[in-house]
Amino acid sequence: MRYLTIALTKGRLAKKTLDLFRKVGIAADGADDKDTRKLIFTNEELGVRFFLAKGPDVPTYVAYGAADIGIVGRDTILEEGRQIYEVLDLGYGKCRMCICGPESAREKLNSGEQIRVATKYPNIAKEYFLNRRHQTVEIIKLNGSIELAPIVGLSEVICDIVETGTTLRENGLTVLEEVCPLSARVVVNQVSMKMENERITALITSLKNALNE
Amino acid sequence: MKNLIIHTPEGFRDIYGQEMKRKRTLMRGFEDVFDHYGYEPIETPTVEYFDVFSNEVGTTPSNELYKFFDRDGNTMVLRPDFTPSVCRAVAMHFPKEGMPYRLSYEGSTFVNSQEYQLNLKQATQAGVELIGDGSAKADAEILMLTCDLLKKAGIREFQVSVGEVDFFKSLAAESGLDEETIEQVRSMISNKNFFGVSERLGSADINPVIRRAFAELPKMFGGAEVLDEAETFAVTEKSREAIARLREIWSYIEGTDNERYISWDFGLLSKYHYYTGIIFSAFTYGTGEPVAKGGRYDKMLAHFGEDAPAVGVGLYVDQLMMATRRD
Repeated sequence: MRYLTIALTKGRLAKKTLDLFRKVGIAADGADDKDTRKLIFTNEELGVRFFLAKGPDVPTYVAYGAADIGIVGRDTILEEGRQIYEVLDLGYGKCRMCICGPESAREKLNSGEQIRVATKYPNIAKEYFLNRRHQTVEIIKLNGSIELAPIVGLSEVICDIVETGTTLRENGLTVLEEVCPLSARVVVNQVSMKMENERITALITSLKNALNE
Repeated sequence: MKNLIIHTPEGFRDIYGQEMKRKRTLMRGFEDVFDHYGYEPIETPTVEYFDVFSNEVGTTPSNELYKFFDRDGNTMVLRPDFTPSVCRAVAMHFPKEGMPYRLSYEGSTFVNSQEYQLNLKQATQAGVELIGDGSAKADAEILMLTCDLLKKAGIREFQVSVGEVDFFKSLAAESGLDEETIEQVRSMISNKNFFGVSERLGSADINPVIRRAFAELPKMFGGAEVLDEAETFAVTEKSREAIARLREIWSYIEGTDNERYISWDFGLLSKYHYYTGIIFSAFTYGTGEPVAKGGRYDKMLAHFGEDAPAVGVGLYVDQLMMATRRD
């Protein structure tokens, strides 16, 4: 039997996902051991193997077929824009993509003036301002601590993930607009979906049932 | 520093040695199959007027076309695929009385994007168009030809997934949903979002059978049982016709060597208005994307001033080379 390869996003999502897989009877021994240096974890009995990858790389592995299935946040799926099937909303890892800034930026946001938007997600920000707000903006790509940008004057607003809003509040920022809701998703390679239809469909259905329990 | 005299531009490459020999063998094999089925070769120019690939007929977004101007200021493009070119040539040179025409082509296509096909901006395609025959038998011929081409390429395990665009289209029209909702449902079905559609439709007031059909469509792919399942949702005339059509196509394929390669997929929907009947993709291991795509496009000839049904398939030769490399 051919291995079914599953790419997991490193970090919080991975742990929850491994728990979920365990619940449906697919254990990946050692995958959640923090000290391990191993990259790939195999369940020989079921012919399934898991590996951990950085979030933005998960859609890439799946699009090329190096992984049949991926577990990744919707933010990453939207940002990467790969040709993959998005088959199931896992419902956890819930948060929102938002436009945030100091309250004073609300006026600038609506003024129609050219504003600067700092973000880790340039494609999502561009799509939102261009197609939904019909506004031209300057997008500044950052790689972390996005909240810093409006504070030090790099940009007027930011486009970023908001979970509880604590970081925002502590830095005097607020949610100005919501772009879209986010959560963890199961993605599948187009070819795998056809060639391994039975195994993948059975897996997705059992995951969905486990979520409903 | 990059030496621009020696390197090829990104997305373009030299092919030589064993790889070129393999490619030539592959193409000769395809030519044998084309001959066997009675298809005549046609060559169309690499450069066409922009209008040949405009939004109504093209499947390549305008910003991904290689464009330039001729001396008179007309916009020209490098062809992104063959079908519109062949249709244009047929409308121009082939009298209607002589139909049907069976034409085969092979050559390079150009798409200015990194998202497609192994990041190649110049990719080789080979394929056929069967013009002037609107029958289910013609659809079956193209499907059989696709299977034979893939076998000739040395691929042993593959699947040709066949759908019908009218099935979803007519149910969508009947549902009375607004265009935006339909577009969202369409995109979820194309993405095989197994459970999202029912959540999206929520409490919308629509025919309960159509609601269940939409919810099931992302999962409606597989063997003959899928046709039976689709039948239970066929509340419109057109959707019943779509299934009857697929059954008729199947009657020509059933019992042949190729029957094991064909499967059905009602979730195969196209964003483009291009397709009017069957639509299909061929998949195999070793490459993450389809190795061939095709379907029926009965309105395309009308775009070039001729009214005739047409069906065809295009094979992505570079993908096939990739898929057969590991053997």
